[in-house]
Amino acid sequence: MRISKGGLLVIMAFLTPLIVELRTVLSWFGIRLSVVETGALGLALIVAVLIWALWPSNGDTEAKLA
Amino acid sequence: MRNAYIDQFPEEARVIRATLWSSFLALMIGGTLGLIQGLHRTNVLRFIPSQDYYTVLTAHGVLLVITFTIFFLVGIFTWAVTTSLDRGVKDIRFTWGWYAMMTLGTLLVGVSILGGVVDQIPMNADVLYTFYSPFQAHPAFYVGFVLFVVGTWLAGFDWFRTWWAWKKDNPDERIPLPTFMALTTMLFWYLSSIGVAISILAFLLPWSLGIIDSVNPLLTRTLFWFFGHPVVYFWLMPAYMLWYTMLPKLSGGKLFSDPLARVVFVLFLILSTPVGIHHQYLDPGIAEGFKFIAMTNTMFLLLPSLLTAFTVVASMEHGARQRGGEGYLSWLKALPWRDPAFTGMALAGLMFAAGGFSGMINAGLSINYLVHNSWWVVGHFHLTVGTAVALTFMAASYWFIPQLTGKEIWNRSLGLVQVVLWFIGMTFMSNAMHRAGLFGMPRRTAEPQYQGFSFDPAVGTVAEIDAQIALGAALLTLSVYLFITNMVLTTIGGSTSDAIPDNTYAGTLSGPEDSPAIIDNLKLWTSIAVVLVIIAYSLPLASIIDAGGLFGPGIDPWKPSVVVDPSLVLESVRGVMP
Amino acid sequence: MNIHTYEKTWLAVSMVLIVGFIATITYGAVGPGIAMIDDDGGSIDPDTINDDERFSDPGVTHVGGNEYEAAVVAQAWTYTPSEITVPANSTVTFYVTSRDVTHSFTVAGTNVNTMVVPGQVSEMTVEFDESGEYGILCNEYCGAYHHTMEGKLNVVPQDEFDLTELSTDASDEAQLGNQTTINTTVSNDMNYDLETTATLEIGDQQSLEQDVTVPAHGSETVEFAVDTTDLGTGDHDWTVTVDGHEESDTLTVTNATEGGDGDA
Repeated sequence: MRISKGGLLVIMAFLTPLIVELRTVLSWFGIRLSVVETGALGLALIVAVLIWALWPSNGDTEAKLA
Repeated sequence: MRNAYIDQFPEEARVIRATLWSSFLALMIGGTLGLIQGLHRTNVLRFIPSQDYYTVLTAHGVLLVITFTIFFLVGIFTWAVTTSLDRGVKDIRFTWGWYAMMTLGTLLVGVSILGGVVDQIPMNADVLYTFYSPFQAHPAFYVGFVLFVVGTWLAGFDWFRTWWAWKKDNPDERIPLPTFMALTTMLFWYLSSIGVAISILAFLLPWSLGIIDSVNPLLTRTLFWFFGHPVVYFWLMPAYMLWYTMLPKLSGGKLFSDPLARVVFVLFLILSTPVGIHHQYLDPGIAEGFKFIAMTNTMFLLLPSLLTAFTVVASMEHGARQRGGEGYLSWLKALPWRDPAFTGMALAGLMFAAGGFSGMINAGLSINYLVHNSWWVVGHFHLTVGTAVALTFMAASYWFIPQLTGKEIWNRSLGLVQVVLWFIGMTFMSNAMHRAGLFGMPRRTAEPQYQGFSFDPAVGTVAEIDAQIALGAALLTLSVYLFITNMVLTTIGGSTSDAIPDNTYAGTLSGPEDSPAIIDNLKLWTSIAVVLVIIAYSLPLASIIDAGGLFGPGIDPWKPSVVVDPSLVLESVRGVMP
Repeated sequence: MNIHTYEKTWLAVSMVLIVGFIATITYGAVGPGIAMIDDDGGSIDPDTINDDERFSDPGVTHVGGNEYEAAVVAQAWTYTPSEITVPANSTVTFYVTSRDVTHSFTVAGTNVNTMVVPGQVSEMTVEFDESGEYGILCNEYCGAYHHTMEGKLNVVPQDEFDLTELSTDASDEAQLGNQTTINTTVSNDMNYDLETTATLEIGDQQSLEQDVTVPAHGSETVEFAVDTTDLGTGDHDWTVTVDGHEESDTLTVTNATEGGDGDA
């Protein structure tokens, strides 16, 4: 894992204000997202972060995980 | 050999445990009430009559911003002074005395508020935490408040006494940083509580006892806000103390700069009080010039918080690098995110940045027209006292309770989940509050659903806002219960542990010797603070008294009590109308 | 004092930020000239509100040109007047006071927002550009029914706005053959005289018109003489119309010798 579990939890938590405020920011550019669309976008971001965090880096994670 | 606080100062540890438990109890009750409010005004779940909402709201405000915060403060400051001066209090009975006084005061206030929903208690105090006249509460409310505040004054005296005794034995030394912080905080507390003390003792209490006939509403309101702004720093300074003296150590390092930490606290001593009128920007009877002065003073109060932001982050970075962190931003990964004490404080600090800036909006004179008394303000203070302070206090408890009990936290992972849950819940709730305030949603209102008009959000709908509030409130309440559960199970369960770390606080990279000795001249800074308060308040108060009289033009008291039927009231009201 | 370079930079940037904030706020006060509520409204004894020049008859008055004044009395839990109408493109100075506890006078969704403290008069000048409908609410806790306290603010197009009011004084009954009068008092609270026409419609046939000039901030009474012979016995609905304002009632014409209904 690229970061500790605690760190991952915090990054996920930090996504909350990011996504919530993103919806307001997008509205300034005329892009209106519904609640469902915002939720989907949030989910996509969370999945992206999870993939980044759990992706083995440069191959030597194999040894660490073992 | 374990050297936790309970080993070093067992008697003081007992008092501090008592103060912290009083604090936690208030948090739990106040938090539950908040959930009731959140569900009620959004029309998600209503099981109390809307008139009782205001009783609930009074209790929520008082329990959380007076009882929870200040009991925690007196506990932490007792720890700070005894630890940093390495000596106990002079007489533990005196310490228990002020604790008892604060507790008695709380009980009186609590019972008088409870009378608003319990018919058997012939008291009423549905006056909200700000208790503006002509609302008149039962005398027990005012007496209780006075006892509580006087209790805190005595607590301050306890710590000053300890410091004076230490000074005799250490005449040439700089004041250790935690004690310096406690003393400067108490100095502006003494100065600022004068306002509310006068308001209650000279006006509201005798008025509620029938000794005087009437009060001047604008005068008592102004005297409240004389105190009402500095009290937020009274809540904040213990959190800052923890960020300066605990957080760097938890991060694995040292405080970046002791001198600047002292400067920050001196700035708060000087500037906390002469800004109260920024809560009265929309009040008639106060000239614009005084409001402008309050605005500039308030803007300068940004400075100590911005300095704190630098020092806190710099100290965290230092700690991270000590733990092996490298790179421009990658050092963040090396921080102890699994430690709920660390993570809670870090998230609280992060959220405070947002809260501080929304506070600047409130302070922005003409901008205030748009946000005053709207839900924006509520969103703001849930970020500041609700997170920067409350979350820091909960996070710090994960370090302090083991120190005070000698026992390990029952479940540290639960602690981590709890603090993260608070952050998430507060994001949802506070964001919705800010957005709602911008389209005019009022605060302190049981049913903000009006008949003649509807609100017009820029993004989304009112229903979404309501749902977000309910969600946030539910998550926050869950978080509080997880916290209390953890604290209870830590205290009653488990055996004592030898693995509790020593009672220490952070060392510094740049020590007090790097700052000029004048910083420690508390008399000087207090004098300047007094002068600034006189400049900011003497003319406005004089003009209010001159225009309206010390006791007002004879305005009838309004005793809030259960009103049976609004149409009956409106009938009598129509009788008064021309 | 030993201050790290980065910290010195941060300190300098912070000061620039703070001074910048103060500057923009000062500009807001001086440039667009947004004034804060202050002590210009003066103080007042709430017991004398009914006798006060301004508040004994709350509502909108015309000062001149596009300037108006609106006096509002707040009390738990209503505003008087509860519905306020002003024209677009006007400047309205509100004077608001309270009979009892502290309220607010707040137009939801705008920056029209003031505290209303008993013993004080809040003076607030507002520029209204476009027409629209707004809600007025109280955002300062004022007792158990605080959440019911609301009002309405209508900003109407200029040609739809006037400060004309009608009141009529007429008998309910008249004997057939006698003359009866319907008196209409037209009041005009604008700053200029109102020249208009009052029209009475009664029964199917009769329609009387009279021109009337109502002085500024004054009133004028128009007398309509009604010939009951033409109407005949029975109930006759009538309506007086002045500039789109109407007052209606019913006149019952009875037989010369009988009282009550004429069933002839």
